Amino acid sequence: MSTQHAQEAARFIANKKQEQWHNETLWQVRRKRDRLAMDIPEWEVLREWASGIKMHTLSHLDRYLERFAANAEANGVKVHWAKDGEEHNEIVYGILKERGVKKLVKSKSMLTEECHLNPFLIRKGIDVVESDLGERILQFMDEPPSHIVMPAIHLKREEIGELFEEKLHTEKGNSDPAYLTHAARQHLRNEFLTADAAMTGANFGVADTGDIVVCTNEGNADMGTSFAPLHIVSMGMEKLVPDYQALGVFTRLLARSATGQPVTAYTSHYRKPRKGCEMHLVIVDNGRSRAMEMGDHIRTLKCIRCGACMNTCPVYRRSGGYAYTYFIPGPIGINLGMLRSAETYAGNLSACSLCCSCNNVCPVKIDLADRIYAWRQSLDPIGKADKIKKGISKGMKYLFSHPSLYRTSLKLAPLLRYMPRFLLYNNLNSWGKGRELPVFAKESFTSMWKKGKVNTHKSKRS
Amino acid sequence: MEKREGQHTQIKTVMSSKDEILTRIRQTVRTRYDMPEIKPDFMAYGDKTARFIEVSESVGGRVVIAGKGEDINDIIRSLYPAAKTIASNIPEITAATFNPDETETPYALDGTDLAVVRGETGVAENGAVWIAQNVKEKALYFIAEYLVILLDAEKIVHNMHEAYRQIQLNDYGFGLFISGPSKTADIEQALVTGAHGAKGVTVILTSTV
Repeated sequence: MSTQHAQEAARFIANKKQEQWHNETLWQVRRKRDRLAMDIPEWEVLREWASGIKMHTLSHLDRYLERFAANAEANGVKVHWAKDGEEHNEIVYGILKERGVKKLVKSKSMLTEECHLNPFLIRKGIDVVESDLGERILQFMDEPPSHIVMPAIHLKREEIGELFEEKLHTEKGNSDPAYLTHAARQHLRNEFLTADAAMTGANFGVADTGDIVVCTNEGNADMGTSFAPLHIVSMGMEKLVPDYQALGVFTRLLARSATGQPVTAYTSHYRKPRKGCEMHLVIVDNGRSRAMEMGDHIRTLKCIRCGACMNTCPVYRRSGGYAYTYFIPGPIGINLGMLRSAETYAGNLSACSLCCSCNNVCPVKIDLADRIYAWRQSLDPIGKADKIKKGISKGMKYLFSHPSLYRTSLKLAPLLRYMPRFLLYNNLNSWGKGRELPVFAKESFTSMWKKGKVNTHKSKRS
Repeated sequence: MEKREGQHTQIKTVMSSKDEILTRIRQTVRTRYDMPEIKPDFMAYGDKTARFIEVSESVGGRVVIAGKGEDINDIIRSLYPAAKTIASNIPEITAATFNPDETETPYALDGTDLAVVRGETGVAENGAVWIAQNVKEKALYFIAEYLVILLDAEKIVHNMHEAYRQIQLNDYGFGLFISGPSKTADIEQALVTGAHGAKGVTVILTSTV
């Protein structure tokens, strides 16, 4: 009984060349992140602070939200509150409808993805244009992002070249990234200049000032909000930081962790609407307050969506974003999916080897692997535990608590070498898929020790 | 008494989403954590300017130091000889072909080859320059094909902690850090500059001393 993740991953790795490219490319991003992090002697101090600031803010979120909303309103921003995705979408549509908006240009927002905003608005007749290059490519293909920072990381340039031939009438056979990027620049510039409204997400909300901070490399959020007379910000309520001092910690960590850059090309602070224009802010709960009840899992809400945990994850790198059933993949996606619905997304828990690499790169020190381990312990009561593995575990427990039986089976273990393959590598043993059993030694360590065959002298330090 | 209770239930049923969210948070939060003490007195770079230049170049930007008595306009013309439409609202920038603040709408800024603006604070650790909106339409920072930022060399700080202690927004209510040109790596992680914003950014360091 393998999980859906395991089945989808099998499909991904069937293309060995693609798997290797994906694995190596993301590992390069991880290495860039390492170089930039090591360049900052106080890196670990920053991570500790970031974690502390987030835990403080989350555990005082009621006060900070009130302060933030009051400041934003004083700045002339219209603040809306949405309990869930549905209410969020209705609010956004209401604003657009009232102003007769036909075309909405969007910059990347995982929250609107979470709320399924685009299909909702498109059904209502709004022309929704994603403006981040990767997002635009995927919108053309009608596919979701496979990574939260590098949404089109699973695609090859040739595929994008062919797509642009059809959609943007680029030269046939030209798949040069610079050529394609500049073709998209021309195309999207026209969209920016003709949009009736712009929508952005928020990387940070500053409670003290009411600022919305948006970080991009492309400048697409800035282009959108500079022309259309209406700016709507969609913000998950966990995005708050208390003040500028705290913001300084996060702006140092975010881009270094995400892409191995010292900072994003643009770090924009939106405090007031443009002169004669409107700015709306939708603060979204959608399960976040419920997640705060789930004990230590509240730590998952510290996430600043940098994607570092994906880039380092050996399972993500070798299975791709689409192997996960939740729309955010990788270690953080496994956890966020479980917060959303343990019943629905429990399968993703198998996509972790507990190597804990994610714990070590997370800029806000979420103990992602420990969270996954904890979620696994809670699978049985909801009927999501793997029955075969459960059986094996029971057997192991029996074996390990009966020393004589354990010793006998150790003696017999080398016999596995002589067992026919079909008995070892079959559907009952999912650990035997894609793996070879280690060769068992002819004699066990215990037996060697008893016979004095183990030389302890050499290992002693003088 | 009865009437009061009735009123109370009525208030409950029309509880706004805001109240519902805040109430739920108040009910769910069990442990309140203290704010950590943040004392960001890190890394005094020996030479802030050198570090600023090094990092700016590593992110695809360019830094030019204006010599004493050198005319900034000459520097701009020599850096961007092909620029035909040059926007600036800085009086000393005589190389400008128009004042962007005199345009009616941001749309009129489309087609600007070069914009020359003033930056307030430079950050040595990441090559970013803080600008509190100082043109009528912020579109100028992004729509111009190339961007020149004038920065007083004395205004370079070590890191973001220091920067955030200094920066302020003005009545426009918008400000940003710019670090190098607009860029993307969304196609196969190949780095391409000029995604949507400026294809190139030059910081000209001036000295008031």
